[in-house]
Amino acid sequence: MTAPQTIAQKIIAAHCGRAAVEVGDYVTVTPDYTACQELFWPGHKRNLERIGVDRIPRPDKAVMVIDHSTSAAMGSPHHETHRTLRDWCAQQGIENFFGPGNGLRHLVLTERGFARPGTLIFSDEGNIASIGALGALNLPISTEVIVAIIQDENWIAVPPSARITLTGQLGFGVTARDLIQTILRDCTADGRLLQCCVEFEGPGLASLSLDDRQTVLASLFHSGAYTGIMAPDAAVLDYVRARDAGRPWQVVRADPGAAYMTELTYDLSAIQPMVTLPPDAHGGVPVEQAAGQRIDQATIGYCSNGRLDDLREAARLLRGRRIASHVTLYVTPGSRGVYVEASREGILGDLAEAGATILAPGCTTCWGYQGVLNANEVLISTQQFNYQGRNGDRTSRVFLAGPAVVAASAIAGAIADPRPLLAETAA
Amino acid sequence: MTTCTGRVWKFGDDVHGDDGIIEFSIIRDSFGKEFDEDALRAMCFRRMRPEFAQLVRRGDIIVGGRNFAHHNHVEVSVALRASGIAVVVVESCDSGFLRRALNHGLPVMICPDIHAAVQDGEALSADPATGLVTLPDGRILRAKPFSERMVQIWQAGGSIPLLEREFAARRAAAGR
Repeated sequence: MTAPQTIAQKIIAAHCGRAAVEVGDYVTVTPDYTACQELFWPGHKRNLERIGVDRIPRPDKAVMVIDHSTSAAMGSPHHETHRTLRDWCAQQGIENFFGPGNGLRHLVLTERGFARPGTLIFSDEGNIASIGALGALNLPISTEVIVAIIQDENWIAVPPSARITLTGQLGFGVTARDLIQTILRDCTADGRLLQCCVEFEGPGLASLSLDDRQTVLASLFHSGAYTGIMAPDAAVLDYVRARDAGRPWQVVRADPGAAYMTELTYDLSAIQPMVTLPPDAHGGVPVEQAAGQRIDQATIGYCSNGRLDDLREAARLLRGRRIASHVTLYVTPGSRGVYVEASREGILGDLAEAGATILAPGCTTCWGYQGVLNANEVLISTQQFNYQGRNGDRTSRVFLAGPAVVAASAIAGAIADPRPLLAETAA
Repeated sequence: MTTCTGRVWKFGDDVHGDDGIIEFSIIRDSFGKEFDEDALRAMCFRRMRPEFAQLVRRGDIIVGGRNFAHHNHVEVSVALRASGIAVVVVESCDSGFLRRALNHGLPVMICPDIHAAVQDGEALSADPATGLVTLPDGRILRAKPFSERMVQIWQAGGSIPLLEREFAARRAAAGR
């Protein structure tokens, strides 16, 4: 008789040929896909040559995406990477190669039907846990993605699970980013989610859009959590059916009585707009405590908040208004799909009219590739990181927030609560 | 022989990987290039222990507190290994650090209660294969033992060297 299993245990067991696995077991799993970005490709390529790999066993499982260096800049080595990665994929028969402008791996995986309920996906980053919104399990293995591509398997330690139950609904002017900033504030310092797969459930989950759910999962790794997942509901199944192209999937739910290292409940109606202060990703405070801080730059997008709902939220505030004259605002749609839809809805035009610069889908300013900060400059962003030097000079400072707070701040020229402006808009 | 015995460099809780063990802002432009091990060794712990790069010896051991090396790119693991560190023993760390380190031949053992049990400069023995950590006074703490595959990766100096060896053996067996 096996003990009750969590979602992570069940998906892992199904991918290592066992009926059940125990937390802490070291097992070798075969993934459904392995997702890989281009920044480390020169290293991967050297390793492939060093090892002497002629043919990879499953080219159909590799999802190769150029997202960090969309449009290689003069003086950067990335144009060579784009060429050699494209050529290698063609040589290996990898059809799932997505070149510059297709967007982030996170969104490529969801929008193009790779991430489906019950699938196990190796990737190079913890923020790809966003695919857990569709019931797919992201196992981040960093530069070892190339090992998974070479062997069609890799070792993992079965993670413990934690469970966060959501109740209620987010209030006026409050976004999913505010929720995850609150969770990070509460759960990072004491390490209570460390190494865990965090399962989200509860009646509040249904009130979050699929985009919102991905926002919550994309930033979860800052807590030290390994990955995250949500049991699919009807909205997820509709989304997946429209994209699966006949490829198999299976909804996986936790057994009653499965063991969780931590169990928490969040009432969504109690969440307030948040700002995370530099330099820690868990330094969240209510927006009032940061309000008035003058900013030089504001940026919206990325795996955290680059989806259609995020751009809609930004446009709700920026439509018919202008950003402050001393502020630069960059908006980056997360994928080509988001770009197209935001364009059709008139969002991109409204944002541009308000003074925003629209960048090509990709990581852009999030890792300091574009929008570099000078000494003492201040950025408010929906990006993932706020440590010293992330976006340029070490004396520059990065505040993190959801798209509503960032848009309101760009208009005010200083960090601002979005609710008064939103109330004006609604009136 | 899987026991590492060495001198301890002790650090506290929440040591930042990218912005503590190394200075990521300096190396951000080096993505895709071969690791500059000399530069990484020179910056390793520079802000926390300025004497580290000069005084660290091959075989030394890092002991850390909770949430050690959080927010770490792979260069953090390379900097530690290039500094000669034989094993890292911490109260806790994220899974990514453990993976990246082992992938580059550096074993990380998660060993609750290690932090209070050993002082900076003392000698410690740690065996990733058995999970046994022997304190200066002879007491033993237990970490989770590595799997056979993980021991192979560690002993080969990382995932890529191991695959190199295995592919070479496969080619030799196939007679080409």
